[in-house]
Amino acid sequence: MTVNLSTDTRPSAGPAPAAVRRRRRRFDALPYALVTPLALFIVALALIPAGVTIVQSFYRVQELNPPTVFAGLENFRRLFGDSTIRASMENTGLYVVIGVILSTVLGIVMAVTLQRRFRGRSLLIAVLILPWALPGVVEGIVWTGIWDSNTGLLNSVLNSLHLISDYHVFLGQNRLLTIFAIELVQIWQMTPLSTLLILASLQNIPDELYEAAYLDGSSTWAAFRRITLPLARPGIAIAMVQALIATLNVFDQPYVLNGAAQAGASLTEQTYYVSFQNLDFGEGYALSLLITVATLVIALGVVKLVYRPVEY
Amino acid sequence: MPQRRSWGRRLGVLFILLWSLVPLYWALNTSLQTDAQISSKPAHYVPPSPTLHNFHSLLVGSGEIPSTIRRSTINIFVECTAATIITVVLATLAAYAFARMKFRGRTLLFYAVLATMAFPAYTTLIPLYRIMSMFSLVNTYTGIVLVYVSGFLPLATWILHSYMTTLPVAIEEAGQVDGAGRMQVLWRIVLPLAWPGVVSTAIITFLFAWAQFLFPLVLSSDDSTQPLTVAIAALQGRHTVPFGLLSSAGVFAIAVPAVIAVLLNRYIVNGLLSGSVK
Amino acid sequence: MTSLRHTRNVLLAGALTLVSVVAAGCSGGGGGGSSSASDKTTGVTITVALPTAPPPQASLDAFTKSTGITVKWTNLDWDSLQTKIAAAATAKTYFADATDVDWSRVGQLSKLNWFYPMEKYLDTTALASQMPQISSFSPGGHVIGIPYDASFLVTTVNKKLFDQAGITSMPTTLDQYTADLRQIKSKGVVQYPLNIPFAAAEGLSTYWYQTTAAFGGTILDANGKPQFATPDTPGYQAAQWMVDAIKQGLVPPGNINVPDTQAQQTLMAKGTVATTFADYSGNVGSLYNVPASSSVVGQVQYLSTPGVSGAGPNMSNPDGIGIPVKAKYPAAAAKFIEWFTSASNQADFAGANGPDKVMPGYFLPSQLAGVTELTEKGKLIGGQQLSDLLKNSAKPIFAQGAPSWYPEFSKSVYTNLHAAATGSMSVADAIKAIASTANELSS
Repeated sequence: MTVNLSTDTRPSAGPAPAAVRRRRRRFDALPYALVTPLALFIVALALIPAGVTIVQSFYRVQELNPPTVFAGLENFRRLFGDSTIRASMENTGLYVVIGVILSTVLGIVMAVTLQRRFRGRSLLIAVLILPWALPGVVEGIVWTGIWDSNTGLLNSVLNSLHLISDYHVFLGQNRLLTIFAIELVQIWQMTPLSTLLILASLQNIPDELYEAAYLDGSSTWAAFRRITLPLARPGIAIAMVQALIATLNVFDQPYVLNGAAQAGASLTEQTYYVSFQNLDFGEGYALSLLITVATLVIALGVVKLVYRPVEY
Repeated sequence: MPQRRSWGRRLGVLFILLWSLVPLYWALNTSLQTDAQISSKPAHYVPPSPTLHNFHSLLVGSGEIPSTIRRSTINIFVECTAATIITVVLATLAAYAFARMKFRGRTLLFYAVLATMAFPAYTTLIPLYRIMSMFSLVNTYTGIVLVYVSGFLPLATWILHSYMTTLPVAIEEAGQVDGAGRMQVLWRIVLPLAWPGVVSTAIITFLFAWAQFLFPLVLSSDDSTQPLTVAIAALQGRHTVPFGLLSSAGVFAIAVPAVIAVLLNRYIVNGLLSGSVK
Repeated sequence: MTSLRHTRNVLLAGALTLVSVVAAGCSGGGGGGSSSASDKTTGVTITVALPTAPPPQASLDAFTKSTGITVKWTNLDWDSLQTKIAAAATAKTYFADATDVDWSRVGQLSKLNWFYPMEKYLDTTALASQMPQISSFSPGGHVIGIPYDASFLVTTVNKKLFDQAGITSMPTTLDQYTADLRQIKSKGVVQYPLNIPFAAAEGLSTYWYQTTAAFGGTILDANGKPQFATPDTPGYQAAQWMVDAIKQGLVPPGNINVPDTQAQQTLMAKGTVATTFADYSGNVGSLYNVPASSSVVGQVQYLSTPGVSGAGPNMSNPDGIGIPVKAKYPAAAAKFIEWFTSASNQADFAGANGPDKVMPGYFLPSQLAGVTELTEKGKLIGGQQLSDLLKNSAKPIFAQGAPSWYPEFSKSVYTNLHAAATGSMSVADAIKAIASTANELSS
């Protein structure tokens, strides 16, 4: 693998090359022609829908209760007054905490494993990214075969090893266990990307730093703590942010593994039910907006907390 | 230092292998068993009498479930391929303009495009559904592909933009001095140089499209457009769930992205990293 | 999408975008789009979307031959189908020419004006005398769907397992039934005798309605007010009975995450459990007696609902078929519905005239004449008993028809009962939550 990148984090809209600068005098239609299709897509199918969501979350938009009228914060008040939604907020909180922590820790472990070149390393990377490439829904079905209380792999293995005598119910019985089991499926999917992001940071660490540390008599662990971890911070921060976005919006895995049950339903699932079962679009918009705002605020917090620019 | 950590690395390698492969092995194992074998206790860790029966009935069997699976397989290929081609073409054009030309509103538009990536995709689900139904595009390939393209364009533009800005400007300038038009420069000089980036973008877009579930769940209403992912999830809710068929359909849905991931992982890794880190 | 870039700039740009979008003040309407309905009834292809497998191809071909209408059949699972119908109805967009009108969605769909009144196409008054269930599909005086079967909820027992436990006479009251369950468990015939699908899904709500009826009560009154709020009400007792059953080990613990049809298929049909209190009325014929999917062929029979003192009622949950207002060929769809729900075809689908004409899973005609034909030919599985139950004790779950807010109510029922079964909530709290949902929705 060639990770040909720096940790320069400025999105380089880039200085325009001299060739272009020379032409600035007369109006140049070409760039507009080139970006127009993109702009149309973004405006029509991303910005306008997002705008609709924001504006209409302050309206009563109920198919069964027309017409649409301004409702102020009514939708938000009802969201917080609904015990099912509150339970889903807690569930989503747990998904985020478990998912972000575990995928980051596992990502660091795997990235450190892959830090140096060795035989078979590129093959291992191919295997590593497999879970990332697969559809979440199918992963949910695959993992049903592991968690299942009648025919699941885990029950069978634990039973064969005489660790349990009776088959256990992993999904749906105990809330924490259910959430952990569902989130593990998502972690399985997210960790490859976390690993790659952290690995990209690790590849920039000069070998001399480690050599100097070992000459000073540092242990492997000390080198990891004093060199690897601090210098991997940019990668770790980005890995955490991508995990955060994914976990705050988790849908496929709980939908397939646990349905609407309160013990695991996520906020995005509730958005779906509120909108398409209750036909209360106003409340659905409000919930979408809440998730978006939470995503942006927490992502900013993580970046502030974890991200440190690294200069070599 | 490489020597110091070698036992640790072996453990790490073993962990990565088990972590990635055990669940996939289990899915494959299940798909090679009959319904009766699947429900045995303890489970069969290897198929007792491996049978391709499930795959056979999916591929050539008559009956409504195999034909639904076959149809939705065609659908997912059509939708993913169309979305990938359109996304890559539009993103290449736009990325070239962003990377190499100066025009009013460039910065604003560029950041607006990027900003849409920070929105959780599901925020726009309901309005998108209503827009699509306003134009009678629900349950059409066009509707689904349009939504996919709008979702994947920002990342694709970003990845390609990152590639193009790393290319040396001098070659292009030389091209222009030779009198080639800018579109010719894009076609003859930039595109060949940025080709790995284009391939990365195409693969990543295709994989994202293949993985979609909630959008097509809402936007397609029957066999004529629903992709494999939606068809498989719907099988679960049937009156009589054919577990063998279900797991072999699942293996089917996994096989394509898995082969792509293993064979083309270099492109995926580079694309993801330039899209995420730079 | 998986990745996020330079966050600060992205956020800044995002904020700017939001401001500009809000300033633009765009508001999306649920636009109409003109209807392109055609009254053509020949040479057209109609789409029929139902949560069931189609009739045999030969029957459909015969229909095409006699009418010139080709049928494209779409079989969707019940839950996705309801979501898609609701989504299409709100967006006023074409979905199918004829589709499912579930009894529970009648209120919601009629309020959305989503189905053509069937009296426009068929003589519904004449049909009503032949199809008692049609009343469940007539909110506000319009028939919006024609019932195509006569489904109801019924107790099924595995006679062989009951015999093995030494139970010779079948239970007729709830107390006896519960005592028999204990006996089957204590004799070790099966570890968990009772099947209740506790997954948070529609099937759990339905199970509770039937159990409530067995306890002698109803769910909602005519104004939609809850009739189950206090511990002395049948609805409360039914919930308590169901939750106690899983807590006391009468129900397999794994059922907590198993939905209705899956439980029937993997537990009841495999002889893992001995009885399902609220089973679907066709299951003996279409599932338990089918060797390919069952290991209990010939062992399961229907039972008159064990009630508080003697036989209790059976709640009917008939499936209907209607024509969405956005249908492309409503007249052709009406012709299909007339054919599909005719007495003779229904008898064929249910097996009156040989296996070649059977529609998979179909068992009980909605037309009384169809039932009579079946019974006379001795082809109705469960025979006389089932048709007696249908005539004497089947009644609608909501006497006034399902309210328009039924889906939200049902979700509250199944999520809270599910939570009570897991022990994360007491039965009292679950009932309280369900009652307050009903109160809020009906006010």
